Amino acid sequence: MKDTIGAGVRFRVFLRSFAIQGSWNYRTLLGTGFGFSLLPALRVIYAGRPEALQDAVRRHTSLFNCHPYLAGIALGAVARLESEGESPEVVSRFKGALRSALGSLGDRMVWAGLRPCCLLLALALLLLGAPWWLSLVVFLLVYNTAHITLRWWSLRTGWDAGKQVAQRLRESNLERFHEGFAHAGAFLLGLILPLVAVGALTGDRLPPPWVLGGAVAAVVGLKFGSAVRYPLMVALVIIASIGFLLRTTS
Amino acid sequence: MTWLWLALVGGIVGLDATSFPQAMLSRPLVAGALAGLAFHRPLEGMLVGAVIEIFDLPNLPVGAARYPDSGTATVAGVGALGFAGLPEMHAGAFLLAVVFSLLWEYVTGLSTVFERRLNERLVLPKHDPQRMTDRSVEALHLLSTTLDFVRAAVIVMVGVFIGANLLPAIVHDWHGPLMLSSGSIAVTAAMMLAGAIGLFGGLRERRTLFLAGAVCGSILLLLT
Repeated sequence: MKDTIGAGVRFRVFLRSFAIQGSWNYRTLLGTGFGFSLLPALRVIYAGRPEALQDAVRRHTSLFNCHPYLAGIALGAVARLESEGESPEVVSRFKGALRSALGSLGDRMVWAGLRPCCLLLALALLLLGAPWWLSLVVFLLVYNTAHITLRWWSLRTGWDAGKQVAQRLRESNLERFHEGFAHAGAFLLGLILPLVAVGALTGDRLPPPWVLGGAVAAVVGLKFGSAVRYPLMVALVIIASIGFLLRTTS
Repeated sequence: MTWLWLALVGGIVGLDATSFPQAMLSRPLVAGALAGLAFHRPLEGMLVGAVIEIFDLPNLPVGAARYPDSGTATVAGVGALGFAGLPEMHAGAFLLAVVFSLLWEYVTGLSTVFERRLNERLVLPKHDPQRMTDRSVEALHLLSTTLDFVRAAVIVMVGVFIGANLLPAIVHDWHGPLMLSSGSIAVTAAMMLAGAIGLFGGLRERRTLFLAGAVCGSILLLLT
């Protein structure tokens, strides 16, 4: 495996994995992107066998979906299976088995963990008076350090583990990151809430009745969760319209 | 030059959201600051983005879920605010820019669905799966990615055009007390922010850390 697929090919697969969702659609989801990302490896594995290459391309552009940052695990492991000459049926079943696991793990760890934590950190810096560019740089730097590391780790893990990737995933204990993000996120959320309630988002210090209103609103938000989003949007539209009503009545 | 910058930022932001490379340039917080740079008002743009960000926190791009495209909408909202030519941090204009961005999210979200359907209906059938080759896969992928950039740039330009014409007129006729604008943003953002605790396991699970954060935040507030 390591003799046939060198570091240069791995790096090209890694770079292409950033664009794995480039042709996302409702029929194959990120399937076409999976084939696109895997191509550098397939071209090496099937060098001199054009029919086998096109057959592999067709197999790997079919329906597939998972978290984009963890897609490297599937890409690496599939490249390894292909290079070891596994039958298409085995590779297909293997991909199918990985799909939901990589999806749910990545969604919880990245979309519901890393991303909101980094955003709340940037918001905290901004609302505490840090320069706008510092909040921006901290957010992008912290997030993307973790993002790129995770993508590279995923590809390397899939590549090294091959069929044993499920076991390697269990050993890596990624769940502990999710737990850490959940703790940090809850703390940051609490930290920002008083700043928002006093009017830091608009650079104001609101009078006590408004701050009290913010505190009551926070309690309502804690009780009803994200279900408050649409009612709040409607409320903002109504409030924005009040300015016109005041003009009409004055 | 300003329009060109907004189109470029819109395209990049739209591309980053899904297609390439998901580096979070598409977050409203970042998109707002980048759009604000066009008017030399990045902080104001970032603060509009911060409000949209708080509204967008619970939206997770899970599976084939359809969700509002908040980054490009923020670029449109900040662009409209910039073209309104009002003093920086004008509370009424700020509220209207936030409302415009929140509404425009649904248009940009629809454009994403349209683009995905376009990938599916126009591009894929041209390539019969049995005739799919390595070269055609690369061409298809590049075409789809380019289409996503163009979609985002166009939808931002349309949004800025509509917003830039609406906002100055609306703000001119808007006679609400400015405190109503700032206060309503603070109250609604506080409610949304508190509602995001569900992302981290809910209040029952994280009560201690959440309250510790709230105490620290209050102390910092008193100190600053």
